[in-house]
Amino acid sequence: MKKSALFTVAVPTLLLLMIAVAGSQEEIEFVDNSDFSNAQRPPSVFRHEEHNEIAELEDCAECHHIYDDNGQKLEDESSEDQRCSECHESRSSGRKPSLTRAYHVNCKGCHLKQKKGPFLCGECHVKQ
Amino acid sequence: MVDVYTFVSGPLAWAAFTICIGGCLYRLISLIVLAYKKERFIFTYMSFSYGLRSIVHWITPFATENWRRHPVLTVVTFAFHISLVIAPIFLLSHIVLWEEAWDLRWPALPDALADTMAVIVIAGCIFFLVRRLKLPEVQFVTTASDYVILAIVAAPFVTGFLAYHQWVAYPYMVIAHIISGEVMLVAIPFTRLSHMVFSPLTRAYMGSEFGKVRMARDW
Amino acid sequence: MTEPAQQSETKAQDKGIEVGISKLDVERIEKVVTGVLKGETGARLKAYVETCIHCGLCSEACHYYLSHDKDPHYSPVGKVKQTLWEMIRKKGRVSPEFIKTAAVIAHTECNMCKRCAQYCPFGIDIAYIISVVRRIIHRLGATPLYIQDTAHSHSVTMNQMWVKADEWPDTLQWQEEEAQAEIPTLRIPLEKEGAEVMYSVIGPEPKFQAQLIYQAAIIMDVAGVNWTMPATIGWDNSDMAMYTGDNELMGRIKRTHFETAARLKVKKIVMGECGHAFRSVYDMGNRWLGWKMPPIRIVHAIEFYYDLLKEGRIKIVKKFDQPVTLHDPCNVVRGGGLGEKSRYVANAICEKVIEMVPNYEHNYCCCAGGGVINCGPPYKMTRVNGNRVKAEQLFSAKTKGAKVLIAPCHNCHSGLHDIVHHYGVGLDIKFFADIIYACMEKPEATEA
Repeated sequence: MKKSALFTVAVPTLLLLMIAVAGSQEEIEFVDNSDFSNAQRPPSVFRHEEHNEIAELEDCAECHHIYDDNGQKLEDESSEDQRCSECHESRSSGRKPSLTRAYHVNCKGCHLKQKKGPFLCGECHVKQ
Repeated sequence: MVDVYTFVSGPLAWAAFTICIGGCLYRLISLIVLAYKKERFIFTYMSFSYGLRSIVHWITPFATENWRRHPVLTVVTFAFHISLVIAPIFLLSHIVLWEEAWDLRWPALPDALADTMAVIVIAGCIFFLVRRLKLPEVQFVTTASDYVILAIVAAPFVTGFLAYHQWVAYPYMVIAHIISGEVMLVAIPFTRLSHMVFSPLTRAYMGSEFGKVRMARDW
Repeated sequence: MTEPAQQSETKAQDKGIEVGISKLDVERIEKVVTGVLKGETGARLKAYVETCIHCGLCSEACHYYLSHDKDPHYSPVGKVKQTLWEMIRKKGRVSPEFIKTAAVIAHTECNMCKRCAQYCPFGIDIAYIISVVRRIIHRLGATPLYIQDTAHSHSVTMNQMWVKADEWPDTLQWQEEEAQAEIPTLRIPLEKEGAEVMYSVIGPEPKFQAQLIYQAAIIMDVAGVNWTMPATIGWDNSDMAMYTGDNELMGRIKRTHFETAARLKVKKIVMGECGHAFRSVYDMGNRWLGWKMPPIRIVHAIEFYYDLLKEGRIKIVKKFDQPVTLHDPCNVVRGGGLGEKSRYVANAICEKVIEMVPNYEHNYCCCAGGGVINCGPPYKMTRVNGNRVKAEQLFSAKTKGAKVLIAPCHNCHSGLHDIVHHYGVGLDIKFFADIIYACMEKPEATEA
């Protein structure tokens, strides 16, 4: 069946724009959803710099974390040089969540906990 | 808004599912106990094969005389009921929530199809409403509760449809959608929406009587 | 009794109902209604009332509804709305006037033919709901006069027609003598213990239609059936108490019937061409007595003729030459699955059988059964006007060439007679036995 496809394949122009943005590495505007083969929803709005500024995030490993084989988070290591999908597969295995679940729990989970930021489907996956 | 969402998607959802499932079980068990106490012969006459024979005929479009007499209604009611049950269970957005909460996942419908099904349910509700208002034999036996039930069923689909398309009042629409869905769940055991639980039983009993005793077709 | 004449309604005046409701007040009604609903009903009624989604899909099943230009008051669910729903909604606190209307609806505007049960997607047994209403009316003492009289007759004489103890064997002997003119050796064996068959009839046969007993005796004799009839009570298989909701009396009647057969040690009960009696013996009465199925095998006349013809025990000299059409009575076809056997018999004895549409289980009711014709002359037009659709169905069969209508049920027979007459359909109505008797091979008739 479908890979846990969360994001719809956007209209071609949008796709082109996204690739351009992603390629620049500097000004991320959307979560890169190219690992989802048949995305049903638009990619999440995510302005990386702005988000971290508002959230006052210093530690990259807050999101770009690394867990060891025993499920322990490694304090001094981070993974911003990797793609999320290098660890998170389309299916959960053990305590390691699937890619979609990882995104949702990571973003929405934090937003709910902090009571800040978007938490409804359409607040991130904004229809254009 | 976060607190509202946390509440309606947390404790309230728990309550709605508990009441729905618990209520249906309660209604079902109390009906069976009542039958056991006062009409035990029901168990004597109930036949699995004849009951099933009757149910199969009636859940197959155009397999009964009365379905054939009302082709439009038949198409609408089957499309309506199938969509009503299938769309919420296999909707991607819902599965994602199950995945978030329980790490459970099952195949989802493509969003476009689920969207169409929502439209079918809404259109079905309108069809039933018009039927209630316009057909004398339906209008005559319609009570206020019938309109309430229609509204209860339509609400989650209307709000869900609008929320999905993010056209108006987006955040509020999602909250309204969640609450109206919960209202429907709670209403199932305690309104005539309970035909969802009871109709297989009444159908099976009539099928058994017709098959075993009356030796005739009940379709 | 001299109430101001306010009603301008055209519905029949019925002394049974009028006098009955004159003794009622809301408190008494409330007590009886809640007594019946709480004490006598259970899971079925609860499920039926709460599952009904008010869709109206049962409407087109009902001949009253179809015959009254789709007036929703006559739809099955419409009738339930006007009776039971209201009683439930008001927790039994309804007026005597309401009871009057309910009595008329439940007793004369529903034949309990159960066609609607075939049209309800949920299989709700609306006839059962109507029978609950009739039960309430019975316990309130407001049952229509004529049918109550037949119930009284059952209670006193164990037959429907006030046939006295001596009149019954007298009638049988009379018919025996008549038949001996045709077959000198013929007997109607009374009280023959150990016979294979006990033949039972309905009260009206000895009362008005003794020739049917004559015909049956000829058929039995020619077929060489080892048969008997009781000389005592228990000979009548009819049961109007079943239709008035007097279940206790129904039980007495059926117990007497079964016990008579048991006393005579017969293997089976063969019954005449009657539908409601079949329902009572095969479906309702046995259940009241605690029998899942009848304690003694019940063979309806249709099935009996089928067996005789199939086994060659009676032979047809020359088939009936007029084209016939066949009416499927609810109680034996929808209620007993005898549709195929009925057609076998019809084809075996008639040259041409023209099907009416709809047929088999989907046939339209005669509008006489369910005790409606037994509510008597005040309601004759209720039956006739309530079944225009039957006249149309018969006309259409006639257009296809039918000249004779076979109705293997007493109530159907009488009800269809009124319909055929009123609408000028112009079909002769016959029982199977009429035709079998006329066309069968008999020993050479002796000159009187």
